[in-house]
Amino acid sequence: MLNRLTIALIALPASIYAGVPDQARLLLEKNCLGCHAASVALSGLRLDTRAHALQGGARGPALVAGQSSASLLIKAVTHADPKLAMPPGRKLSDSDIALLRSWIDSGAAWPSSAAAPSAAAKWWSFQKPASILSVTIDDAIAAKLRDLNLPPAPQADRRTLIRRATFDLTGLAPSQSEIDAFAADPNPGAYSALIDRLLASPRYGEKWGKHWLDLVRYGDTSGFEQDPYNLYAWRYRDYVIKSFNDDKPYDRFIREQIAGDELFEDPEAQQGTGYYCVGPNRDMLYKVEDINRVESLTDFVDTTSSVFLGLSVGCARCHDHKYDPISQRDYYRLQAIFAPFQKNRVFLHYNNARGYDLSENTRTFKLYDIGAEIMAVKSPYQDRLRQQKLALLSPEIQAAFQAGEDERTPQQKAFFEAYVKQVTPREEEVAALLTPADQDRLRRAEKKLVSLYTTYAPGPFSPGITDVGRESPKTLLPAKGAPVEVGPGLLSALGGQDIPEPPLTSPTTQRRRALAEWLASPENPLVARVLVNRVWQYHFGRGLVATPSDFGTRGAAPSHPELLDSLANRFIANGWSFKKLHREIMLSASYRRSSRPPLGAVEKDPENQFLSHFRRRRLDAEEIRDAVLQSAGTLNLKMGGRPVVPQLQPEELYGMSQPVNNAWVVTAAREEHDRRSIYMISRRNFRMPLLEAFDRPEGVLSCSRRESSTTAPQSLTLLNGEFTLRQAQALAAKAQSAADPIAEMFARVYARPPSAEERQTSAAFLTKQSSLAGSQGGALTELARGLLNTNEFLHVD
Amino acid sequence: MHSRRELLTRAGKGFGALALAAMMENRAAAGPTTARPPHFPPRAKNVIFLFMHGGVSHVDTFDPKPSLRKYDGQPLPGSFGEGLITSRIDFRKALMRGSPWEFHRCGKSGLEISSLYPHLSEHADDLAVIRSCHGDAFDHAPAIYLRTSGSQFPGRPSLGAWSIYGLGSENQNLPAFVVMSDGAMKSGAGAYGSGYLPAVYQGTVFRSGQNPVLHLNSPSGVSPESQRETLDLISRMNRRHFAEREEDTALDARIASYELAFRMQSEAPDAVDITKESEATRKLYGIGEPATSDFGRKCLLARRLVQRGVRFVQLYCGTNLGDDWDDAHNDLLGSHTKMCRKSDQPIAALLKDLKAHGLLDSTLVVWSSEFGRTPLAEGKNGRDHHPYGFSTWMAGAGIQGGRALGATDEFGLRAVDQRKDVHDMNATILRLLGMDHLRLTYRYQSRDQRLTDVHGEGEFTQWLLTNKS
Repeated sequence: MLNRLTIALIALPASIYAGVPDQARLLLEKNCLGCHAASVALSGLRLDTRAHALQGGARGPALVAGQSSASLLIKAVTHADPKLAMPPGRKLSDSDIALLRSWIDSGAAWPSSAAAPSAAAKWWSFQKPASILSVTIDDAIAAKLRDLNLPPAPQADRRTLIRRATFDLTGLAPSQSEIDAFAADPNPGAYSALIDRLLASPRYGEKWGKHWLDLVRYGDTSGFEQDPYNLYAWRYRDYVIKSFNDDKPYDRFIREQIAGDELFEDPEAQQGTGYYCVGPNRDMLYKVEDINRVESLTDFVDTTSSVFLGLSVGCARCHDHKYDPISQRDYYRLQAIFAPFQKNRVFLHYNNARGYDLSENTRTFKLYDIGAEIMAVKSPYQDRLRQQKLALLSPEIQAAFQAGEDERTPQQKAFFEAYVKQVTPREEEVAALLTPADQDRLRRAEKKLVSLYTTYAPGPFSPGITDVGRESPKTLLPAKGAPVEVGPGLLSALGGQDIPEPPLTSPTTQRRRALAEWLASPENPLVARVLVNRVWQYHFGRGLVATPSDFGTRGAAPSHPELLDSLANRFIANGWSFKKLHREIMLSASYRRSSRPPLGAVEKDPENQFLSHFRRRRLDAEEIRDAVLQSAGTLNLKMGGRPVVPQLQPEELYGMSQPVNNAWVVTAAREEHDRRSIYMISRRNFRMPLLEAFDRPEGVLSCSRRESSTTAPQSLTLLNGEFTLRQAQALAAKAQSAADPIAEMFARVYARPPSAEERQTSAAFLTKQSSLAGSQGGALTELARGLLNTNEFLHVD
Repeated sequence: MHSRRELLTRAGKGFGALALAAMMENRAAAGPTTARPPHFPPRAKNVIFLFMHGGVSHVDTFDPKPSLRKYDGQPLPGSFGEGLITSRIDFRKALMRGSPWEFHRCGKSGLEISSLYPHLSEHADDLAVIRSCHGDAFDHAPAIYLRTSGSQFPGRPSLGAWSIYGLGSENQNLPAFVVMSDGAMKSGAGAYGSGYLPAVYQGTVFRSGQNPVLHLNSPSGVSPESQRETLDLISRMNRRHFAEREEDTALDARIASYELAFRMQSEAPDAVDITKESEATRKLYGIGEPATSDFGRKCLLARRLVQRGVRFVQLYCGTNLGDDWDDAHNDLLGSHTKMCRKSDQPIAALLKDLKAHGLLDSTLVVWSSEFGRTPLAEGKNGRDHHPYGFSTWMAGAGIQGGRALGATDEFGLRAVDQRKDVHDMNATILRLLGMDHLRLTYRYQSRDQRLTDVHGEGEFTQWLLTNKS
């Protein structure tokens, strides 16, 4: 509430802050650029850059810096000469003219060549971070707690700490032996060594890659009615995982995703542009190609600004942003950056890719022939069978079958539908009739077919985009009367400039390149702050700015502004390294605090905004599934590759838009089904029930922070679902073969031994369940199912 | 705090019904689906939304167009078809096609309804038909998203989700927003999703059979006694864990969620047990007759759920992988005959039954489809998708029926009078539920998002409630 109030007070109109040069620019923008800009330059005059204005048009220079009286512009706007009265038929107000005069007299400064109101917005996040490097996490947190007169919670014990750190960095639980070793390690550097070990684990990329995939609305299908496969999307998923594991500097990660095609030769880097290809897309729909293109551009603008800049620019699509200094023109300047995009295949190995295309081409040609051969063998039999079956039916029904599809009467149609299945010959009926010669022909055809696919695998491609060429389609700003063309440019409120034309030899427009460089620049006030805040949120459950994708005037104010700036500065100074940032956060005393609130904390800081203690969290959807597999000892840690489609129960596959045998093609290799959740297929029209129940996002819009809901269906799914049962059985089997089944079970689920009381409870439970279930194995399965549903298993302290 | 601890201790000795009930009540106070007061006194407490999946032809059901018969077989005159596109036909070339069904003036009001709906016609005086609906999406999935969430793009919360978000539900032992479909939806589950709202607000699919909620049953081979033991173990472990963390309400809520799940296990099968209904009631809905049995059961369940305080029930009639209104592409006659036979009697029975139970006044019944169908023929026997003018109707909730709002043009092409888009519809539905569509907001991406986005100014609640044409 306090935050909201603060925002309301600060969110004054941006123009209040605009200096004279900005206001002058605004006047030109509003009154002159319709006729005097890049697209239309009447009398050869352009007033969209300082250079052009000084150079002037057919009548000579429009302005003489420092001398308003000698400037043609003033002559025109004062309507002194009826032949040169601008704007035509509409004189500016005296105060506007006075402003233009004083602007020219003071040198006609051109603060930014941006075309939008370049209000020097004073909103904190639009200013560069204060150049402070020295504010440490613990000092900043301690200072606020002192203000609140809140004592910090003590440090968590080592067992708690290793579980917290391991889940945070890898999404998996530590084993009991890892915990015991860490708890017993006398070395004071043990914790630091633990963090290093976890950061070096390949599991790290799988956990943190998932955060990124949430942000970029990743999916393996495109959505809508057909929900078609996005066949190579997983290459981008693997690229993201690898980038995190390699600790790819964030500025590089940005460049690769935004403009990998324009900036790098290396196909591995170009894969980053898969960023544009893993969202929802309706280009399989009919007659909506133009709408689809607009939707794609909208998606690129909205997702990019929200993910990298933490700004929602979407409002400005239809009108100037009401709260943030983002004009509609700015929005379309951004859109123009993407306007020349086209889909692209990134050839991971150029020669192999060409070879793949060639063999695919030949294979397809051969397939037509094999198909024809199979048809030729089968159809005489099918025809004969159909006739025989039809002959057994009444003449009315026969007539219904003979009538053309369009000619059938309703009655005939009903007959047709009722009997079509019965009349259609079944495969086995045909097979039983085949002559030896035809059987042979069919076998040969099938053999050919199989031989075509003996080495079938996805090609060495990755999805991506590039530009159609050096020239871009126009971007039009909707306006009263005729739409106005706008050129590409970066957000003016952040000092963004127009993007110049590319060199004549450029194969692309280089617009995204300019965007990438601007985003990945240490000068950008938002990008590093937004990123460190995201990382902070994933560690602490809440960002220093509580609205991670909204750093605009409607977003929350930072709880510790100097710390945020300091972290952002250090992040850049440390080479944009994620892993160094994790280390800094996790080695702080603030991260290591117990999750038990100190006295008074619940009353004084109910949301724990000031971190007097650590925020307990429920495991997220993927962590729950992975942790269950891990406990059961069935987790398959294979990395990468095509998405896995695990076996689900028929009732779990309800409501898909497409037939289940097309939409849920279960992966043949069963051992794949127990791989980590990040490798399970993510269909847009269907989420695996367990993941859906635990708040996995829909994957349609960027998700910057997951819900952590608690619902009855959630409990039903984890309690009664086939997945839990199967894993509980596997876990029970492991426990049963151990010397001490109860201890084994607790070790696997909680990574700790049972207390005496728990042992007693469990033993009594097993006795009772053995008599109910009829076997020790069944009882152990129940114990496993129970423990996997407990809060201790599902939460991290 | 103290009393809760006390309760927990008592509950710990086994689930004494009293202690548990008190505990649940206590928890419910903070629950996301707890009933909340509306902005205004509501006209309706509940909604039953009958969604005809695939596209119902308006000119063959609720929007009579004699001109189509008159000019049957001719192309549209002049520039009538300019600027319209749809899935398969070309509006400039396709031929007009008169309805093969007769329209009749029905009830005291004389509202015109086609002979496709003999049963529903008997309730004409309850129906307020909106003949001037329009949209701009002519493909199923975008059109379904549009009708339910106000956006052609998936990822936005559905009307049902918004309703629960705004009002909660009066029965915590059943899902607040129940969906019953015929299976595969052209839109997938996005049509009843929660979008950017918390997942707790999304629709819960009720399946056919004794156990309507997914995973409601104990796993196979686990007896009820065994299940109860396991639940008790979970509870014991959780309470021990909670004892050292009792400031954390999320942990507490999860403990409760297992008891809620257990209660749902007993209440949901009871809610769907239609053997508890009289033979006459089942017959009224056409249960037992091949054509009407399935949808009749769904309609009866809708009444039973509303009776139990379920806020929003969404039924779908038609499926992507079976009988569907969309079969009208090449067989208008067959598809509409079949789909009306499937749904007419059950819907009429629902209205009658709600009335008999005194529930119609507090229940809003909405009938809609993602779009209408072209007044022009597709092929010899079909009609194509048509979003530019089509009909929906509403009943119950104090609505003055027997009337039609707005109109399409002479050929049923475009809504021309009192044009109503989905936002106007949704604003109206929210208003009937006692909510102001301008005030029902959720902050996402720095905007206070609304179901009606920046629209909804064509809300027509007053018209519905005031008896003048």
